[in-house]
Amino acid sequence: MVDPVTARLWGFRSLYLLLAAIIVFVRLLPLDMTVPVLPGPDLLLALTFCWTIRRPAYVPVLLVAAVYLATDLMFQRPPGLGAALVIAGTEFLRSRRSQNRDVPFAFEWGLVTVVLVGMVAANHAVLALFAVDRPSFGSAVFRGLVTAAIYPAVAFLSAHVLNVRKPSPGKTDALGHRL
Amino acid sequence: MARSAGNGIDYVSPVRRILVGVTIVLCLAIFVVWRIDSPRVERMRTELLDRVVPSFEFAGAPIRSLADMVDDFQSYQRIYEQNQDLRRELQQMKAWKEAAVQLEQENAKLLALNSVRLDPKLTSVSGVVMADSGSPFRQSALLNVGSRDGIRDGWATMDGLGLVGRIAGVGKQTSRVILLTDAASRIPVTIQPSGQRAMLSGDNASAPTLDFIEDFDQVRPGDRVVSSGDGGLFPSGILVGQVIAGTDGRLRTRLAADYERLEFMRVLRSHEGEVVPADGSLIVPPQPVPLLPPVPEEGIDQLAAGQSENG
Repeated sequence: MVDPVTARLWGFRSLYLLLAAIIVFVRLLPLDMTVPVLPGPDLLLALTFCWTIRRPAYVPVLLVAAVYLATDLMFQRPPGLGAALVIAGTEFLRSRRSQNRDVPFAFEWGLVTVVLVGMVAANHAVLALFAVDRPSFGSAVFRGLVTAAIYPAVAFLSAHVLNVRKPSPGKTDALGHRL
Repeated sequence: MARSAGNGIDYVSPVRRILVGVTIVLCLAIFVVWRIDSPRVERMRTELLDRVVPSFEFAGAPIRSLADMVDDFQSYQRIYEQNQDLRRELQQMKAWKEAAVQLEQENAKLLALNSVRLDPKLTSVSGVVMADSGSPFRQSALLNVGSRDGIRDGWATMDGLGLVGRIAGVGKQTSRVILLTDAASRIPVTIQPSGQRAMLSGDNASAPTLDFIEDFDQVRPGDRVVSSGDGGLFPSGILVGQVIAGTDGRLRTRLAADYERLEFMRVLRSHEGEVVPADGSLIVPPQPVPLLPPVPEEGIDQLAAGQSENG
C-alpha cells in the first residue's frame, strides 16, 4: 500500500499535469482566429509559480521542464528557451521558500511580478542575441503584467478549491523533515 | 525536501542543484539546435502535433459548439441594432444583385462563345481547422489534411471568400497554415483598379500592412487587394481584402476572409511553375544523348599495348 502522504504528493503532481493539459487544450482550440487586441494571461505560468511558492514538492523541476518543453513545441515558441527560463524562475522562487513563508500576500505578488517581467526581459534578450523573430517588447511585457494581474485569482482558487496552501509552521513531510 | 536534518551533511541539495543545472543546459541546447538546424526541429514539432492534436479532436467539438452558442446568445442582446444594419445592407445588396445577375448572364454568354474549360489543375482540398497556434504572438492554424492528402508546403488556403494564408509545415495528417496576420507572412499582391504591386506583410495586427507601393497617390482606401501571382507562389487574382488607412498612417488591408469564424479552409492545389534548369536550355533544344558509349580506358591501353607489340 502507498502511504497517504506519498499518495497525496503524487496526486497533486498528476493534478498539475492534468491542469496543464487542460490549459494547453483550451488554448489550442480554434475559437477565434483574429489577432487578440490584448494578449491574454499565461494561466499555466501563474499556476506553476503559485504552486512553487506554496508547495514546491508538487511541481518538481523535471515535471516543469517536461510540461514547458511540450508547450514550447505546441505553441510554436522557440523550443527549450521558455522551459529554461521557467525552470530558472521557479528555482529562484523555490530558493526563497524559507523567506516566503511568513510574508504577506502583497509581497509575494510583487515578487512574482518581478520574476515574470525579468523572464520576459531575459527571453527578449536571448531572442535578440540569436536574431530570432520576436514580438514587440511592449506587448510581451504587457502580457507578463496581465499574467501577474490574474495571479491573485489563481492563488485564491488553488488555495480554496484545490487546497494548495502554504504548510502551517511545524508541519513535517513523510520523513519527518520540516516543510 | 533537501534540508539537512540535523546530521550536518547535506547530500541532496548539491545533487539537486546539478540536476537543475543539467536540465537548464539541456533546454538551452535544444534552443541552440533549433536555431542552427531549424527545419529538422520544426519537423519534429510537426510530428508531435500530428500525434497529439487529432487525438483531442473529439473533445474539442462539443466545447467549440458551446462557445458558438455563447457567441450566438451574445448576439441576441444587440438584435435590434443588427436588424437595422441588416436592412441597410439588404438595400445595398439588392443593387449589387442586379449587377451580379447582369454580369452572370454576360459571363455565361461569353463562356458559351469560346467554350472555355477552367484550368483543371486549380482544384482544391478542403480541411477543417483543428487548432490554432495557442500563442498571442503567433497567428497560425492547424488543418486536418496533410501529406497523405497530397498537401505541400507553400500552397495557398482560402475560406469561402478570400485568402487566409499559406501552408507552412506539413505532417502526415495535419498541416499548419501561417495566417496573413502572422509577423512572418509576406504575400505579393496587386491593388485594383490601379494595378499597383505591393507586398502584404503581417505584423501581428488584425489588418496586415501594404509595403513597397510604388505610387501612393494611385491607391486609396476601398480599393480591392488581390493576390498577384508574382514569383509563381500563388495563383493570381484571389481576393485578399480591401485597402484601409491605418491609424498609424500606413496603408493596411482589411481581410475579406472571416477570421472570427474560420472552421473550414480550402487549400488550393497550385500547379508547379516550370523550372528552367540552366542558361539557354529554353532556346537550345535538349541535346541528344550520344549513341556510342565512350571507349573504356583499359581498352585504349590494351590497344596501345597491342600496337607497340606489333610494331
